[in-house]
Amino acid sequence: MSRRVLLHVGCPKTGTSYLQDVLFRNQKVLREHDILYPAERFDAHFLAALDLMTLPWGGIETEAVGAWDHLAAQVRDWHGTAIISHEIFARATPTQVERALASLGDAEVHLVLSVRDLVRQIPAEWQENVKHRSHVTYAAFLRTIRDPERDSRIGSWFWAVQEVPDILDRWGGSLPPERVHLVTLPPPGSDRGELWRRFSRTFGLDGLPLDLTAERENPSLGVPETSLLRTINERVTSIIAPPDYRPLVRETLAHQTLSRGVASARLGLSPDDHTWARELARDWIDVLAERGYDVEGSLDDLLGPDLGTFTDPDTAPADQLLPPALDVISALLVEAARLRAVEERLHEELREAREERDRARLTPTHRVRRKIVTTLEDSPAGRGTLDAYRRVRRRR
Amino acid sequence: MTARSSTGSSALAHGWVDHLRAGGTTPWLAWSETGSGTGSGTGSGKDRPARRALPGAQQLELLRRVNLAARSGAGPAGDRERTRLADRVLAASAAGRGKADLPLVGLPYSPFGPRPVDPAEVGAHELLRVASVLLADDLVALGPDPVRTSWARPWRRRFRLVGDPVVTTAAREHLLALGRPEGGPRPFVVAVGAPLDDLLARTWTQRCFEHGSKPWADWLRFWRERDQLPARVDLLDSVHRWHGRRPFVRVVTDLTRLPHQVGVRRLPDVRVPGADQAELARRIAAVVGLRVPSAERPALMRTLRRRIPDTGAAPVGVPVRERGWVAASAARMARDLTRAGYPVVGDLADLAPRTAPAAAAGADERRVLDLAISMVVDPTWRTDRTVKSEVER
Repeated sequence: MSRRVLLHVGCPKTGTSYLQDVLFRNQKVLREHDILYPAERFDAHFLAALDLMTLPWGGIETEAVGAWDHLAAQVRDWHGTAIISHEIFARATPTQVERALASLGDAEVHLVLSVRDLVRQIPAEWQENVKHRSHVTYAAFLRTIRDPERDSRIGSWFWAVQEVPDILDRWGGSLPPERVHLVTLPPPGSDRGELWRRFSRTFGLDGLPLDLTAERENPSLGVPETSLLRTINERVTSIIAPPDYRPLVRETLAHQTLSRGVASARLGLSPDDHTWARELARDWIDVLAERGYDVEGSLDDLLGPDLGTFTDPDTAPADQLLPPALDVISALLVEAARLRAVEERLHEELREAREERDRARLTPTHRVRRKIVTTLEDSPAGRGTLDAYRRVRRRR
Repeated sequence: MTARSSTGSSALAHGWVDHLRAGGTTPWLAWSETGSGTGSGTGSGKDRPARRALPGAQQLELLRRVNLAARSGAGPAGDRERTRLADRVLAASAAGRGKADLPLVGLPYSPFGPRPVDPAEVGAHELLRVASVLLADDLVALGPDPVRTSWARPWRRRFRLVGDPVVTTAAREHLLALGRPEGGPRPFVVAVGAPLDDLLARTWTQRCFEHGSKPWADWLRFWRERDQLPARVDLLDSVHRWHGRRPFVRVVTDLTRLPHQVGVRRLPDVRVPGADQAELARRIAAVVGLRVPSAERPALMRTLRRRIPDTGAAPVGVPVRERGWVAASAARMARDLTRAGYPVVGDLADLAPRTAPAAAAGADERRVLDLAISMVVDPTWRTDRTVKSEVER
């Protein structure tokens, strides 16, 4: 029985990929210090979340059968501290939360929520939508999430995983406030290691000899790059299936090519949206301060940076889209050449296998047997004879 | 909103839950206006699990509709069964992305989270998200129907069926039961054709009863924008995939002559599932994919295909905007098959689309929901052991 479970349920775009990568790669070291991060594959906790929430996800969910129960069983069987972490747990309904907490047994559950200001989260979430096949414009996205009805798919998802007080109501409602830990993301310009130090203190990882090399991150895109990707989605989303979109568009184009445009303008909020986001943040800060949660960082971090220069991605001119478009064409040609090489190698292997088979068939006895078989196959009686012969052979 | 204390509101809402668990059908607004829940409600609360989080409006409204359907027809026998079903409905998640569990209008609500709603206003789409989970769990609990087989007749004609997936799947199943399994050395590749609009509709329908699919309109658009045909629809490509050589290939467009091509006198007639059946199966397949390993899903979905109640609805049809592309694709396929020179049983002109302009394009979500609720309420589709292998055309 785990004595303590640290359940990290969100939010998306708060450095979770890096944290999960460090935990995944350092499982052995962690175990030596009585900390369990049970994951046979990097996305094990993502699959567990899909299973818990009955959430199909472009076909990946077929790999998630029984994943939550498996994860919960490992946690229950552990004698020390166990960590569960995935950002889409933030979306769980109260019934799913009840089931999740019940399946962790009698362990002392600590809820961890990493949070970032809305001023940075809103553009980041739009970008994430675009990286997941959406071609909604930035303006339409903002209209959708500002609609208090939250009727749309985008709006209901956004608030389910980003509305911090609501997430804490659902996940932390049954826990004493001292067992609810908020990790705020440091403001822009802070020391790069500060976020890790906050995670490390919250998860009790200080002093452990962990390999902190960043192997897996979810890089952000600049304004023209995101705008280009959205335009590409308009053309391809309906004709490229999710299993092809993931490696070709999300990985090859977005993560490996477009994210290199570090000199491009970063996406922010317009003055009106900035004012709205900050007002909302102030309300949240007041509510969270009243609840008395344990905060790693400062609730003031949720206010977000001051208004900066806003570059509208919906009106990015063609001359700004051209350089990343050429990069994209180049990357796709390189990828096509790589896949052609793979195809060529497979053809070669197939040709060799066929040649080997044909060499084996060149013997006179094989030719005689082949003639007999083809003659017999042409009549029902012959087929019956062949079947009987094959059965006798199989029995021997 | 009526002013009530938080405790009183909670009692009111839980009273309604008890009422629904006891088979009640009073809508939430009527219940809350009369304040019935502050007492014991219709339900006594007997056998009630300890107070838990209030289910979402989706689950509660679905349960109310289930109770309505149970009153008007076959429902679970006995209080215990009814309560068990009610608890399952209340605990079910809504599958997939969509709205979060919605709070009830009229109760004090948090300024955070989704806005409260009147459950009666929750759309069919949201209710189907919950109903499909219940039906998927029922299907998984039922398990796959056994496949009828017989010892393979040595003198059988060797064949490989491709093309129209509804016809070929039914034929394959029937022939297997007769001891005539597909395959074997040097088989005849029998490509079963049909008017291309029907072929597309049947292919999508069959996908719904296998691994699931995207919605009919999206699926069709996917292929139209690519200007390609799905693998099972493209007869020439299907024949090539099985390395069919000309003397050992038959393209069949006249279904009355199909039995002879596979070495039997007759094959059972096949009914193409209606649009509402296929749409419900599509939604159920998505959840079954989260419940069992993917290799087990087709057998379960085949079981559903055999057991799903018939509503008499027409199969999906090709919408007007896609018909030009379908006609052009049919002409191209007929040309390619003619050039390939494969023997044709029937007439390649029969590949041309024939859908009447008035044909329904897709499923009506309300009808799909009605079907889903009837299956949640009436367990006959699960308990009946005398399921026909095929129904008449």
